[in-house]
Amino acid sequence: MIGFIKKDLAMIKSNLKLIGILIVLYIIMGLMGKMDISFILPFMCVMIMISSFSYDNYNKWDAYSISLPNGRKNSVKSKYITTILLTLIVSIITIIISFIISYVNIQNINYEQILVTMLGTIFATLLVLTFMYPIIYKFGVEKARIAILLIVFGLVIIGGFFSQYIDISFITKSLSFLEDYLIIILILITILMVYTSYKISEKIFSKKEF
Amino acid sequence: MENILEIKNLCKKYDNFELKNISFTLPKGMIMGFIGENGAGKTTTIKAILDIIKSYRGEIKIFGLDNRKDERKIKEDIGIVLDDMFFPEILTPNDINNTMKGIYKNWDTKMFYDYLKEFSLLPNKQIKTFSKGMRKKLEIITALSHHPKLLILDEPTSGLDPVARAEIIKIFQNFIEKDDCSILLSSHITTDLEHIADYITFINNGEIVLSKTTNELLVKYGIVKCTEKEFKGIDKKDYIKYKKTKYEYEVLVPNKKEFRTKYNISIIDKITLDDLMVLMIKGEK
Repeated sequence: MIGFIKKDLAMIKSNLKLIGILIVLYIIMGLMGKMDISFILPFMCVMIMISSFSYDNYNKWDAYSISLPNGRKNSVKSKYITTILLTLIVSIITIIISFIISYVNIQNINYEQILVTMLGTIFATLLVLTFMYPIIYKFGVEKARIAILLIVFGLVIIGGFFSQYIDISFITKSLSFLEDYLIIILILITILMVYTSYKISEKIFSKKEF
Repeated sequence: MENILEIKNLCKKYDNFELKNISFTLPKGMIMGFIGENGAGKTTTIKAILDIIKSYRGEIKIFGLDNRKDERKIKEDIGIVLDDMFFPEILTPNDINNTMKGIYKNWDTKMFYDYLKEFSLLPNKQIKTFSKGMRKKLEIITALSHHPKLLILDEPTSGLDPVARAEIIKIFQNFIEKDDCSILLSSHITTDLEHIADYITFINNGEIVLSKTTNELLVKYGIVKCTEKEFKGIDKKDYIKYKKTKYEYEVLVPNKKEFRTKYNISIIDKITLDDLMVLMIKGEK
């Protein structure tokens, strides 16, 4: 198991330079007060993980990994563990930088605000990735790009349609009591989401043939 | 003799291709050359052995264990080189070592680095900077460095120049001398196999055509070269296939000695695996 994770982490290693440049850019922009680009690092997570699938696919690692001991299970598990590790590391870096920037700029750190923003970012990053992984495992990374595009496009159209003809404010009102538990709910949803996605991917990969 | 690999009635159906009742056994300590033209079913058979394809019928036993039920245990002791399948090319040999250390219980870091040094492969260079021959060597080194009891090699020499091919065959030979290991080696470059294989299994169009010791094949089998008149005098059951060339008939016979005593035809050549493949595939009965 640990070997598979090491392989996925080693693939991230080749992106370290780019991550470094983005962190520096993020700090400079933040200190100048020009623009908040805190989204850039989580966005990088998504890009790095998707490109790792492309590299795997290009050299047919998936088929090779199956011929290793317990390969079918471990290669999927390691992708999810690496994703969580990368998202957490990147989030911690972003939190630290946010603290530094807000301390230098306004000398007043709003801990809660930063924390909630961060949690939201982790949620969003994992949402995108865990949504994509089963599709990638099912259709391969190339076809998955198109599938994801179609799904997002479909959702936007359906969402647009509903918001025009149906008043959804009652949902927001009836859910407002949950606001106090927002953080816990967000964490629980994230865990559930990652777990469900993992189980689906594992099932798809356990039947996959190359 | 203990069998390392046993395949019984393996069947797998695709839209345009089918594996039909593949059965053969590989005894311990032996090298089996698995030959056949491109698309004959060599890689599909190997993929079934390794569980890369799942929906097949039949029984596959490795080290006497079921290849699916005892998958983990079995794969600890198998080394593999697969055609075109390997680590992502942005990784380095160092990364492969770190990965494999966490995958195989018996991974031998020293052996891996000794091999890298022997074949002048730099440990910190990305795989994509390596030539095709270097890459293949790295794949083979990776397959050998956990002291496997069975090596499964799918076309390890294809696309390589003769020098690189000879080097790679030498790696296998040295390895067999040191470790007590069995090898299933698929190839369509049959000259490589004549020197090292103890057994030859020949697959054609999804079916096993023959599975025999190399010695039996090369010593017993022969190619009779004769005229049309002579050919017409040969009993159908005394030959396997024949081919008509511009000037003569080439007839594949399973037993040169017996043939000589029965017929008065003097030209019986030794066969090479290439001749055998061509006659079996293109010849008529």
